[in-house]
Amino acid sequence: MTNEARRPWWAWGACGDLTERDTRNMRRFSLLCLAWAILFAAATIALASGRLPAGPLSVAVAVIPTLLALAVIWAYIVFLREADELQRKVHLEALAAGFGTGMVFMMGYRLLERIGAPKLDMNDPLLVMVMVWALWQAVAARRYA
Amino acid sequence: MKNRLKVLRAERDWTQADLAAALEVSRQTVNAIETGKYDPSLPLAFKIARLFGLAIEAVFDPDEA
Repeated sequence: MTNEARRPWWAWGACGDLTERDTRNMRRFSLLCLAWAILFAAATIALASGRLPAGPLSVAVAVIPTLLALAVIWAYIVFLREADELQRKVHLEALAAGFGTGMVFMMGYRLLERIGAPKLDMNDPLLVMVMVWALWQAVAARRYA
Repeated sequence: MKNRLKVLRAERDWTQADLAAALEVSRQTVNAIETGKYDPSLPLAFKIARLFGLAIEAVFDPDEA
């Protein structure tokens, strides 16, 4: 069975129509992403406030979002493993494009920094990766539509 | 790779969604195979052939690009 009637918010991570299994796996992935984003933001605010005492509590606040991020990766791997084969092909193309572009951007921009380009935040290459991943998915899904 | 999926489906009066459900794939996958934009994996090709009760070479023609 396919689920193409409407696209709920949690289907953001995949283009094209989804089978019921893909829908279930994408929902789990998206909910974990949301939980991670909330926890990450909360941890960032808590650590930046300077109110947490140095020690195990600070370490826990810094580490817990990362543990949840591992669950996000696991959920995405499960989605890919069980995905409809065309959906998997689209995602693998998007991952290759996103990861590759992010790497090239990161290495290439280091050279530009040496000739005076403004310093970038460590997160900027990640943003490039995610944007290219999403864009490539949309383009690839259209190609097979 | 050419295939007769659209004809076989039409003969049975199935929609793409019907076929997708029977094959446990998305409708987009059925459409992409029918239009020749995507060649299915070997397991899916066998599944399609079995569903129509045909040999795999009666559904797919590897000689035609």
